[in-house]
Amino acid sequence: MSDGGGESGSKHQQPHTKRKFSGDDFSQAIAKVAVAQICERVGFQTFQQSALGKLADIVVRYINSVGKAANFYANLSGRAEGNVFDVFQGLEDLGLDQGFSGASDINHCLASSGIVRELIQYANEATDVPFAYAIPHFPVVKDRKPKSSFLQIGEEPPIEDIPAWLPAFPDPQTYFESPSQNERASDSYTEKIELGKQQRKMEMSMVNLQRQFSESGPSSFVHGDSSKEKKTVESNPFLSAPLHFEEKEVSSVVLPAKLSKEVALQNPVAKKHVVDNHISVMETFAPALEAMKNRFCESREEQKNIQLDQRPPVQFKIGVGKKSLVKPLKSSPQNMDGGKIDPWFCKENENDERKGDLKIF
Amino acid sequence: MNHNNNFQQSSDGRHDDDAALTEFLSSLMGYTPTIPDELVEHYLAKSGFQCPDVRLNCCLCFCRIRLVAVATQKFVAEVATDALQQCKARQAAVVKDKRDKQQKDKRLILTMEDLSKALREYGVNVKHQEYFADNPSTGMDPASKEE
Repeated sequence: MSDGGGESGSKHQQPHTKRKFSGDDFSQAIAKVAVAQICERVGFQTFQQSALGKLADIVVRYINSVGKAANFYANLSGRAEGNVFDVFQGLEDLGLDQGFSGASDINHCLASSGIVRELIQYANEATDVPFAYAIPHFPVVKDRKPKSSFLQIGEEPPIEDIPAWLPAFPDPQTYFESPSQNERASDSYTEKIELGKQQRKMEMSMVNLQRQFSESGPSSFVHGDSSKEKKTVESNPFLSAPLHFEEKEVSSVVLPAKLSKEVALQNPVAKKHVVDNHISVMETFAPALEAMKNRFCESREEQKNIQLDQRPPVQFKIGVGKKSLVKPLKSSPQNMDGGKIDPWFCKENENDERKGDLKIF
Repeated sequence: MNHNNNFQQSSDGRHDDDAALTEFLSSLMGYTPTIPDELVEHYLAKSGFQCPDVRLNCCLCFCRIRLVAVATQKFVAEVATDALQQCKARQAAVVKDKRDKQQKDKRLILTMEDLSKALREYGVNVKHQEYFADNPSTGMDPASKEE
């Protein structure tokens, strides 16, 4: 039996496929197919989808009501299970609307009822048209696998009172801790992990910085010729003016020094780098320091030396590295025509000052 | 057929009816209704009609299910036949003045209109919305649609 053309059929099918399937869809689809087969045999050529669906629904209802009525009659006669005669009586109930021969007789025998006769007649006349598809038995009930008992596992029950044939306990960690405790524990645990991660991140970034500078620092020093740098520094009026640099130095230096030291302590590799750099820095600045020593007044000189010794080489290098790469080009013209001290640049220029101090003298 | 003979003789007495019934029930085993047993079994179980043990597939239980299946099939066939008569009558009434379109409209289509009329006789009131429309191309040949 055709569905009135492929296009309309596909259009009708679309909402069905989009809809979420419920448990009854399968049986309803089967009912539709069966009804369509019956209609085809009766003589219909095509059908409206809605009409077929309606008829299939009615078929399902019919089966339901027959079952209910049969069950009712079985219970009425004191039985839990219905038999064939209960079904016949249920069919008579449903056929009362139509009417059948012998319906008016209350005490008629069921075997001679008009319904039964009609059924027999229909079964004899109708040709066998089996259902189009082979259907598996449904609904499929998934059988659960029972948990294995203590005996099957081969364990001894934890308490004597528990017989061995009972299902075994789950793993102890699944029930040992109450949920609230678990939550807290997991919280603190995650916090710890996060803290550790953050620390590791910081350390890694510090190490990376140091590595970068250890690589780029000396090279930059080599690249930037000392004489050239000196020239630029000397020509810079901003840097040449000695300011209250001691105070600033203290504030800016202390914190990074600690960090870098810690990192250096924690990471022997990084420490090596630092040490190497330290040496290289000292070597590169050796002549400048010498000159400074010779020229400057003693008190000043002592201070300087102490500070230089105390000053961590890494921090010192950070400033230099940055500046040697970027600053000389940028800052010198600015400072040249500006010529005044800008408070915004104080922090950045501190290092330059220091550098200047070192190289000027 | 034996059944027919029995049916004709049924007026003779109650004994013949019993014999016919037993024969009918036994013949149900060999009869395969269009409505599958699984469907009937499923919905009977849903309605609370209990079988002693379905898995045993005992003769009595099988008989009951088959009986309901045949009864349902008979019901559907009757409704469908009535709807077909409605359809034919409607077509005969409408097409009188439109003889040209007769070829196209002659297809027998199971429509809501005919079905609801047929079902009303069986005590089922089918009411669909006033402007509920099926696809207008329903029942047309795909070839004729393309034209």
